[in-house]
Amino acid sequence: MIFEERQIEKNNFSSRAILLFGLIIFMLLVVLIKVFSLQVSGYTDYQLAALKNKNYAVPVQALRGEIFDRNGMVLVKNEPTFDLITRPNLISNIDSFLEAIEPVIFLSQIEKDKYKKLQKDKAFVNKELVLKKDLSKEEIARFNVRSFNFQNAFIAKRYRRISDYPEIFSHVLGYTSRTDDDFKSMPEIPRSHWKDAELSYAQGLIKGRTGLEEVYNDYLSGEHGQRVYEMNARGQFLKPLSFVEPSKGSDLFTNLDIGAQESAAKYLGDRRGAVVAIDLESGGINVLYSSPVYSINKLSNGISDLEFQDLINDVDKPFFNRALQGRYPPASTIKPAIGMYGLSNNIVDWDFEMKDPGFFTLPETGRVFRGWRKGGHGKVNMHKAFLVSSNTYFFSLAYQADILELSNHLSSLGFGQKVCLDCFDEDQAFVPTPAWKYSMMNAGWVKGDTVNLGIGQGYLVTTPMQLANYASLLATKGQFTEPSLVSLGAQKKPLKTWEDDGFDNSDWIKMHAALLGVIESDYGTARSIRDLKKFQVAGKSGTAELVSLDSKEAYQEVRTSELLRDHSIIIAFGPMPNPRYAVSVVIENGESGGAVAGPVAIEVLKSLINE
Amino acid sequence: MNRLFQKIYFDPYIFFSLFLLSVLGLFFLFSASNADMGIVLKQFIYVVAGFIIMILISQPDPDIFRRMSGLFLIFSLLLLGVTYLFGPEINGAQRWVRIGPASFQSSELLKLAVPIFLANFLFDKKLPIQRKEIIISLATIFCCFFLVFRQPDLGTALIIACSGLFVLFLSGLSWSFMGGSLILLIMSSPFIWNILLQPFQRQRIATFFNPESDPFGASWNIIQSKVAIGSGGLLGKGFGEGSQTQLNFLPETETDFIFSVIGEEFGFLGVLLLLSIYLFLLLRCFYLALSARDRFCRLVIGGLSLTFAANLIINLCMVVGLLPVVGMPLPFISKGGSSLMSLFLAFGIIVSMGTHKKFLPQ
Repeated sequence: MIFEERQIEKNNFSSRAILLFGLIIFMLLVVLIKVFSLQVSGYTDYQLAALKNKNYAVPVQALRGEIFDRNGMVLVKNEPTFDLITRPNLISNIDSFLEAIEPVIFLSQIEKDKYKKLQKDKAFVNKELVLKKDLSKEEIARFNVRSFNFQNAFIAKRYRRISDYPEIFSHVLGYTSRTDDDFKSMPEIPRSHWKDAELSYAQGLIKGRTGLEEVYNDYLSGEHGQRVYEMNARGQFLKPLSFVEPSKGSDLFTNLDIGAQESAAKYLGDRRGAVVAIDLESGGINVLYSSPVYSINKLSNGISDLEFQDLINDVDKPFFNRALQGRYPPASTIKPAIGMYGLSNNIVDWDFEMKDPGFFTLPETGRVFRGWRKGGHGKVNMHKAFLVSSNTYFFSLAYQADILELSNHLSSLGFGQKVCLDCFDEDQAFVPTPAWKYSMMNAGWVKGDTVNLGIGQGYLVTTPMQLANYASLLATKGQFTEPSLVSLGAQKKPLKTWEDDGFDNSDWIKMHAALLGVIESDYGTARSIRDLKKFQVAGKSGTAELVSLDSKEAYQEVRTSELLRDHSIIIAFGPMPNPRYAVSVVIENGESGGAVAGPVAIEVLKSLINE
Repeated sequence: MNRLFQKIYFDPYIFFSLFLLSVLGLFFLFSASNADMGIVLKQFIYVVAGFIIMILISQPDPDIFRRMSGLFLIFSLLLLGVTYLFGPEINGAQRWVRIGPASFQSSELLKLAVPIFLANFLFDKKLPIQRKEIIISLATIFCCFFLVFRQPDLGTALIIACSGLFVLFLSGLSWSFMGGSLILLIMSSPFIWNILLQPFQRQRIATFFNPESDPFGASWNIIQSKVAIGSGGLLGKGFGEGSQTQLNFLPETETDFIFSVIGEEFGFLGVLLLLSIYLFLLLRCFYLALSARDRFCRLVIGGLSLTFAANLIINLCMVVGLLPVVGMPLPFISKGGSSLMSLFLAFGIIVSMGTHKKFLPQ
């Protein structure tokens, strides 16, 4: 090559090399800018992503608050039991490990098989595994002596939700069961981590399902803590990084009274029925009892399928909370309400007298409505009509009532609506109206329907809770006590009063005197319970007919079938003249209100008053 | 000592840069391998051997390389053939050949043989290069590319193709020819995609364009790499403190993704330092190329150093998510003897070409 050619070649090379090296430098710059955008602009996002990769947070279960009665006696507590927990990653040979531990802890074949199945996976990720639940005292003692042999196992506390009164408080306290929606309470922990939660309860993550456990679930629940582990790409736990302790739920102080509830259970016995008692000063519900009962301890901590099926199939329906959901005709216990209606609407006054021949004939149709006593009660005024529970008097009073006004009046006393502030699944029963009857039965309201309402029969149904609320309204002369199981500071109860221009304090005094006479006078229908106590009690009993019959003879035939027998009902309050407690009792198919339901009411009042 | 340095052919700038890179490389490898001293020690031996090879290789006169270039290419291709016939299959690819106790990735030699052969073939040709010469050059490049590509090893094959094309370009390939080829390449791209690429290679390219489509599958690597680099921040998490690296969220930390380890543990400043060393090394090569004694040396220095640069850029672009994942180590840092040996060999040749001066006009 000649010199000029070489020079051209060299220049050509130089310019092309500059081009390529320039391109390379440009690419390095692009990479540098990209790295800058990752490390400086995108730093927070990527740092979070890196933390999310390695930090594995697991929830640590909080204990639920405990539940107490009004005297500070514990109703539901957290009782420790002991489980044997192993660290599978420290177990090299699973068979020899099981062989070594078998003399110490009794293991069933099922427990061994289950353990063997899970051991390998848990060992790989360095997680713990329960070998045996609920160790006996002997097993704990044996293990503690030999624990130096078992560096790969330890005993840990696991709690159970236990009541010392699992049956008599079953409906009101309710039970807990496993839940899988606790993850909502901690949105910062991914849902999949909940399978690794550190549990405090043997049952795992639990939640109130019925009763106070359900209504006050949020209050009782507490806040789960969390432990953060460092985890590698294969999902192995390497070491704990941080721990936030769980905070136990708040304790619940209820208005319930163990002694009174025990009385209710004892005197109701194995009959079906319900008792509700209310503290007139606070509105606190002291007794809320439904019979028959079941064991909340079993429901909360594990019940066999067979036992559970037995409960479900029981004809007496133990899960049915009669105190809040039982719909019963109020029968004669409604008479004070009808009387209030008559007085405030000037249909009758306390002096008005009429003859009670033992029956009432509906003028329009000639239909006969019978009293409970053949031949009647002679001349009756309102006072006597309460004492002897004259049906004729209240038939004729109801006959003169306007059904819409009467329905409104009954509603104003709390019927047909929920009255308890914090009861679980309370039924509102209902007060009938012409519109209701027309829509339900496609038939018009007839005068006879109103007449039946006068003695609490027919379409009107009430719950024992509503009856107790009604009894407390009568006892306080119109003050609504707003019954509640728990009095939390936040629940400011509005002061509500039942008022009517036609019903003044003198009427209340006469009403109290008449209702006192029902129990305390020689003529009262419930005088049989007079001598069971030392203080005075006012009330009204009732016998709810399940079949409408014309004669006593016909009833004798009906009562051979127990489930068709009359319900026995009473409402009562005392001690008079300054009542502190009101109570309602319903005994299904118990017949004769005063004599059957009456003693239960008296015993409950006695234990509340501490006699 | 000074007299010894004056006697041997030696470039202190390149020596110093490579020394720095190798020391840093061992240091990073210690962290990337979760403190596995065995791996570091093995790599240390490779580094020492590499330096010795480099110094030895830089002593002979460039003319020897020129005369041997044809033999060298044939030897490399023979080695490739031996690999094809006798090499063990690892992960579905035949890339290794055993020579005594050591395994060697035979395609690494082609990275050197192809540019040197082409430089020898083209250095005395008249400008502009004639069609016949272009066709012979391209045929050589394509044959070597294809043999390696079929192993299959797309990354190395591309680098070999680049090494040849760089020399062709530097030796004065006409612009009109390149324009025409580019159009042809674009037109044949559907054919390349459908016929030439293996399914896993297509998958890698697909995930590159849509990494979130499959975060736990194929694009896991690239997502974790970005997280590692990004979470390093300005100063890094500290030596041995990178959670992505130490807890194995980052894959292939010792080889392809070692740059992500550096990014995570030493931050932007660490990256800046590392890239500065590479840049310095490249600028020195550029200077040597311009000041080389003849056209052959210029072409070889240019070809080899640009091949090294392409290797570097492809690795960097891959780990930061600018290119699809192709197996490509970070030069002088990643674990692995074969690529390290061929790199030291290349720089030995570069030093030889850059330091042997001819004062007499031809």
